[in-house]
Amino acid sequence: MTVLEDYLPIFTGKTLEELHTILARYPNKQAALLPTLWIAQRERGWISDRTMAEVAEVLGVTPAYVKGVVTFYTMYHQHPVGKNFVQVCTTSPCNIRGAEGVVKAFLEQTGAGDAGATSQDGKWTIVEVECLGACGFATPVLVNDDFLENVTPEKVPEIVKKYR
Amino acid sequence: MPDQLINLTIDGAPVSVPPGTLVIEAAKQAGVLVPHYCYHPGLQVAGVCRMCLVEIEQAPKLQIACATTVTEGMVVKTQGPAAKSARQSVLEFLLINHPLDCPICDQAGECELQDFVFQEGRQGTRYGEYAKRFNPVEDFGPDVLYVPNRCILCTRCVRFMEDVAQEPVLNVSERGDRAFIGIHPEARLDHPWAGNVVDLCPVGSLLSKDFLHKARAWELDKTASICTGCSQGCNISLDTRDEVVVRVRPRPNLDVNRYFICDHGRMHYRWMNRGDRIEAPLIRRDGELQATDWDEAFDRVVGILRGAAEGRKAVALVSPGASSEALAEAKRLLSGYSWTGAFQVVMGEEAPLAGVPNLALRAERAPNATGAESLGYTRDYAAAIAAAKTAAVVLVLDDPDCAVETDGALLYLGTVLGSDAPCRRADVVLPIANVAEEEGTFVNRDGREQRYYQAKPAPGMAQPAAWVLGQLVDAMGLAGATR
Amino acid sequence: MGFPHKPHPKETVVLSQYFGDADARTYKGWTKRGGYQALAQALKTDPVAVTDIVKESGLRGRGGAGFPTGLKWSFMPKEKKKAHYLCVNADESEPGTFKDREIMRWTPHALLEGTAIAAHAIRAEVVYIYIRGEFTEPWTIMEQALAEANAAGVFGTIKVYLHRGAGAYICGEETALMNSIEGKRGNPRIKPPFPAAAGLFGLPTTINNVETLAAVPHIITRGAAWYKSLCLSNPKSTGTKLFSVCGHVQRPGNYEVTLGFPLKDLIYDMCGGPPAGRTLKACIPGGSSVPILTREETEACLLDYEGVVERGSMLGSGGVIVFDDSADMVYQIMRLAKFYAHESCAQCTQCREGTAWTTKILERILAGQGKPKDLDLLLDLAENMTGKTICVLSDSCAAPVVSGIKKFRGEFEAYLAGKRQVVMV
Repeated sequence: MTVLEDYLPIFTGKTLEELHTILARYPNKQAALLPTLWIAQRERGWISDRTMAEVAEVLGVTPAYVKGVVTFYTMYHQHPVGKNFVQVCTTSPCNIRGAEGVVKAFLEQTGAGDAGATSQDGKWTIVEVECLGACGFATPVLVNDDFLENVTPEKVPEIVKKYR
Repeated sequence: MPDQLINLTIDGAPVSVPPGTLVIEAAKQAGVLVPHYCYHPGLQVAGVCRMCLVEIEQAPKLQIACATTVTEGMVVKTQGPAAKSARQSVLEFLLINHPLDCPICDQAGECELQDFVFQEGRQGTRYGEYAKRFNPVEDFGPDVLYVPNRCILCTRCVRFMEDVAQEPVLNVSERGDRAFIGIHPEARLDHPWAGNVVDLCPVGSLLSKDFLHKARAWELDKTASICTGCSQGCNISLDTRDEVVVRVRPRPNLDVNRYFICDHGRMHYRWMNRGDRIEAPLIRRDGELQATDWDEAFDRVVGILRGAAEGRKAVALVSPGASSEALAEAKRLLSGYSWTGAFQVVMGEEAPLAGVPNLALRAERAPNATGAESLGYTRDYAAAIAAAKTAAVVLVLDDPDCAVETDGALLYLGTVLGSDAPCRRADVVLPIANVAEEEGTFVNRDGREQRYYQAKPAPGMAQPAAWVLGQLVDAMGLAGATR
Repeated sequence: MGFPHKPHPKETVVLSQYFGDADARTYKGWTKRGGYQALAQALKTDPVAVTDIVKESGLRGRGGAGFPTGLKWSFMPKEKKKAHYLCVNADESEPGTFKDREIMRWTPHALLEGTAIAAHAIRAEVVYIYIRGEFTEPWTIMEQALAEANAAGVFGTIKVYLHRGAGAYICGEETALMNSIEGKRGNPRIKPPFPAAAGLFGLPTTINNVETLAAVPHIITRGAAWYKSLCLSNPKSTGTKLFSVCGHVQRPGNYEVTLGFPLKDLIYDMCGGPPAGRTLKACIPGGSSVPILTREETEACLLDYEGVVERGSMLGSGGVIVFDDSADMVYQIMRLAKFYAHESCAQCTQCREGTAWTTKILERILAGQGKPKDLDLLLDLAENMTGKTICVLSDSCAAPVVSGIKKFRGEFEAYLAGKRQVVMV
């Protein structure tokens, strides 16, 4: 059962000031959309339809427009994710260095089940992503904003323990 | 001094067009239709469907005709093997996820995917072993349904709402083959001009709920007409099936409505199919209105008109939706009287189409107010009603709710006769055709005279008002009269 | 060098001199190492003259297209009627490529200096540095470096902003990058108009890759003739390039060599070749969007723009992906097709549907359900996906498929004959 909560706007006080700094960098408000969405995701963990509507209002565009942009870029979450959002590259250069084994290790160690699903304890979401631009440091893994390099299945338990 | 024309050759045919013309438009002059989806002359160029690829001599790759401007001496070939094979491949790619819905799809018969596949597509599919992408149908708003499975992502609808309606409520969501046309849950597709996306959609992805499963495209007869919803005078096509109007669509007119009509006009057709029509002329006999034939009805009217004394008043209360011809004849008929003619117009909210200059659903919800005015009818309806009380003759033209009372004779020409309509007290009731059942002229708010044509037969003995009044004018010998 | 490796004697160290040197990241550290002198020199030189120097040097775009940089700069309007923009493309997402991240995280000021010189040459008022969203460490370092540079007045009145991407390979395409900065979906634009005529916000714009700009200060201080002399093979390919070697090699990393350098030496000498007991089977020399080379082609290949074309591939971004005999070429080609299918922006029909269909066919072949006609179908689709779209993502998907089937047909046929099966997880 969902309880409809009152939506608390994100862009007030200091966050609104931050937005104004960003707006000054572009000749029109629409161009500030990507950085604004980053702020929204930082504050709320994900970008809901309601948040999209708030961002739209603040930037003078339509909610549908914002949604079109949010759904284009894979780093914006359209639903809540675990406390640790883990991105493992499995594109060919990392793939041939065992990247899929790293994914498997993360899924097992965290109990997250399937890639993309959030673990029962809400602490982990593991996803396979495309090339992270660190192919010589296979396998690169992003745990939230921490960019880890040279991850192997053997190193995974340590990593999971550290972030749990 | 006009710009020099650019000369080029398209499929061997020489063509001369103004500089800046797109190859796809220049091709039309050569009688060549370059197959395309995303291109539309009323929208900004997108160049995404890749269907209009053509060979241009000296260009290393195939070029899209919709985004290439003509140059002097350009040689374009649309039917070469490279271009045809490229277009065939585009069709194949579109069909891998597009469901074989033709038997249940409204677009069948007027579907550009069907047309081009039939013309240039592969015979069979090579995608047989895989499941097609599936998403459920979505309700976008008051009249529009979206069937994602059929969507070919031409983005005409998105561009229309963004650039022409200037209310971007549609987007492209997701990426790659997961992409679809999306809408935000907090906004519906209820813009006053939103229905145009259904026309623009080349396939049966955006559908009109109003038209859903009502008729097959090939069952429809299409007649050129003018919208009666307001004074803009948008050019429309009345689509009829078995002599019932089932759909209204825009007809292109670059000077009036370009390629669009508003939703009000689009829905404004059911009244054309009303069944409760007056089907025969009625004259009052023994206190009751009784059906008769035209001859007797005309005789009765002529008798009334001749019986009224010279110089006495006549009042004409007309609909601003009557044809200019009918309005002119009505005036001519009463030319022996001291005459007052008036009309009243239902007003509504104006709804402009922001991206097109001088195009809006107009506040005046009638097609021929300007025509009436130019003939001398006024908007001082109240005064006319007052004058009618003591008039010798009151002529009511197509205004069934006209709350008129008179001591004189009441002649009513109309399509319907409500059960407690004041016009039930008329001395003579003459049945007339509605806009779909006759040919005539409207003058729009800009003074543009536009003709509309007959889409279906009038019921029973009903005739065009212009004809009825014209007959009476002849019978009265007033054919040469002017006011 | 391939950080954290030490420089190899056969490397020509120019851009990578301070990789691994944390002090070089700071403004003070950079100036101590001779930084920002090139900028001082360039600012005293007429913008057109600066452009001519870069033209003369033969520097070509290092992002993948290899377009002559000086020539690109010269496309900007001669008469200054509107504001000019410079965009720095730090969206590095081409599989196999990881050089720009190193430049940013070790020598951010090299990039900023090159940017400042470029902005001067094209008379740009505003610069956007577009950094892909996943590059969290380079972002933080660039933020810090930019703050220092602004405090030191490096850019004068020019405004420089960092703009963060959000997960889209296609935003590395220059017109898609501009759309992304404008707050739109990262859709590539049809050309014309070209960026130099109407680019970012409709104004004249130049887009340059990180590595390209990092080379500019060196060209200014040491001269175009010096840069031109760094040439081992074809005079149209001058200077050094960071090659990002990855995959089945013992010492993966970035290696800086003069253009024309033998690919064989890069893989075997510098990177130690495949692990012991394994042999080189295939190599993609320029990031996944270029054709795959066989072992023979790889070992005969010279690393310059023309030399790689001679072997049937392209220099591209210089992302060298090495496959040894343990690699399943069919699986890896499927994985690359899947990459392109995931990254397609969805505008063009051939790309949107073709990349996904190609992936599906390959997955089915891998699952043991392929039919012989599938190979012809893949080749036919690849041809339909080449040269017909707004951008070349579609062509990039076709490249590994076509070269893979041509050169490793045996591996495909083994799957078709049921002699091999991968369990698709």
